[in-house]
Amino acid sequence: MSEMLSGAEILCRALVDAGVEVIFGYPGGAIMPFYHALPDHPQLRHILVRHEQAAAHAADGYARASGRVGVCVATSGPGATNLVTGLAAAHMDNSPVVAITGQVSRPMIGRDAFQETDIIGITLPITKQNYQVQDVTELADVVAEAMAVALEGRPGPVLIDVPKDVQNQKIEWHPPQKPRRPRASARGQSLTPGAGPGSLEDGVRAAARLIKGAERPLIMAGHGVILAEAYAEVQALAEKTGIPVITTLLGISGFPDGHALHLGMPGMHGEVHVNRAIQHADVIIGIGLRFDDRVTGNTASFAPQARIIHIELDRAEIGKNVPVAVGIVGDARDVTRRLVAAVEPRRCERWLEHIRGFVRPRTEAFRGDLSPETILASIYEASHGECTIVTDVGQHQMWVAKLYRYERPNTHITSGGLGAMGFAVPAAMGVHLARPNGTVWAISGDGGFQMNMAEMATMVQEGLPVKMAVFNNGYLGMVRQWQQFFHEKRYSCTPIWSPDYVKLAGAYGIPGYRVKQASELADVVGRANAEAGPALVEFVIEQEANVYPMIPPGGSLSEPIEAEPAAAAGH
Amino acid sequence: MLLDDALVTLNRAFGVLRRRNVPIEGLALHPSGTAGVSRLTFVLKADAATADRVAQQFHKMIGVRSVMVLANEDSTTEAQR
Repeated sequence: MSEMLSGAEILCRALVDAGVEVIFGYPGGAIMPFYHALPDHPQLRHILVRHEQAAAHAADGYARASGRVGVCVATSGPGATNLVTGLAAAHMDNSPVVAITGQVSRPMIGRDAFQETDIIGITLPITKQNYQVQDVTELADVVAEAMAVALEGRPGPVLIDVPKDVQNQKIEWHPPQKPRRPRASARGQSLTPGAGPGSLEDGVRAAARLIKGAERPLIMAGHGVILAEAYAEVQALAEKTGIPVITTLLGISGFPDGHALHLGMPGMHGEVHVNRAIQHADVIIGIGLRFDDRVTGNTASFAPQARIIHIELDRAEIGKNVPVAVGIVGDARDVTRRLVAAVEPRRCERWLEHIRGFVRPRTEAFRGDLSPETILASIYEASHGECTIVTDVGQHQMWVAKLYRYERPNTHITSGGLGAMGFAVPAAMGVHLARPNGTVWAISGDGGFQMNMAEMATMVQEGLPVKMAVFNNGYLGMVRQWQQFFHEKRYSCTPIWSPDYVKLAGAYGIPGYRVKQASELADVVGRANAEAGPALVEFVIEQEANVYPMIPPGGSLSEPIEAEPAAAAGH
Repeated sequence: MLLDDALVTLNRAFGVLRRRNVPIEGLALHPSGTAGVSRLTFVLKADAATADRVAQQFHKMIGVRSVMVLANEDSTTEAQR
């Protein structure tokens, strides 16, 4: 005998059936039936955030750390629109997030009802798919399909909009049975310009031939390496061939930083030797990346001598930003494993020596010796190199990307594509829930931290022991740096006041610390790291430090700014 | 292009054209002859590589059944220029 269930109960049950354990959300009028049903499903742990943007970022952080779908919930209207930044971030960085929004009842839709907004229309370009559930009979199938769509292929966010009266509709419950529509996939194809599509084997053979003939080959590893967990395969490819490895911002921690073949990060703030290596390479093997403009600079002058082998799950990325010699559509792990088998063992000693000649010493000076290196080293030491680092957006993000030593896979999480300030603190809450036995540090600037610092209340209420590091330089530092370089040092609206972070943390009942000298680092960071609950450390750093080197936006990777613009003018 | 006959799918398809700044010269929507499937035809003034890039964006869209790029006199000239 089947039971009568409401749409809200079906929604909860479908989430439980899909294996969901944590949801991040905020209640409101149009989602109240769901919240009424929620306590009957204790398998679903609900985290009450302080702003829906944080729910979306937290679901994103959870998804990236766990490889599972992150779920966030909001009411209609402002609740739904507050999710938008988080969904856009998940979309740009291919994170499997499912957002559930309440909607006004069906008879009210289109009548500009209270808290009505066209969230389907708003999120069309920033979701893989979105659904407005028109009848309760569709609900369980839609949830099952949404969870699958978010994860399959190139992951991404999916939104389900559920009108309030659908949540209240009652039907006889039948578990979902409808098989999902199979989706066409270009996976397992190779693409040679001029020759059209070929087989995967053709592509792997062509790639192996190019690698064999190369004198200055490079591997560029992107986020796809982490999403496909292709760590061992990429390392095997590098070690069998001696080819050095570059990791993009989202590829960081896809290859161990300490490995002899690891060069660093390319692009706008990439080290000089990394970008020079790209500009001198004759073959580039790009694995799971989209050759984003922050990586390539001006594409017309990007890697002028290189023939590019592009291994990528999404066919649409191949040839989108840079021309390729061999495109292989497929899973990074599967294709790289085949490539390892197909390449002949070789070494690249002369090329590595050549690249070593490009290396430049770092020259910046920091007040009180409180340099980003020493701060990050203290976090590494305190956590024995075993924590996950979540960064926000700006100067600190680049320092962490360049200077933190990542040895363990997928321990660097940041908002790369969208570059959403305010990401780190809520995303770190999601990371903690995905990795409850590990330590997570959320590193922010004083600007980004103030965007979502209200989430400290969430950490206290829900017991989330996130360690927060605030790099306080009193400026929106990266914007100030651009103003210094490109806008005649007119620091328009970039000085930013901060509250007393130690007192602020105290107001939330969170231990707060302030560090002004390098000599204080080991003790303070060690104590914060050892706190059972959340902790905050403010680092008072040099106000006008810059991130060097820097490729000006739209500039060539061959022409970095390596020092103060006045000194660099003679270059 | 053949795609699901649902307003939201059409909206998403038009969104791809708008968001990717695709230079569209004409747009036509017809029933396809199959229930639940529409035929969307658009004229694009661009070279073959650009047309292929646009087609690839549609290929991965949920609700799109098939995409064909048809070259005409103009697009051939464009590609050779």
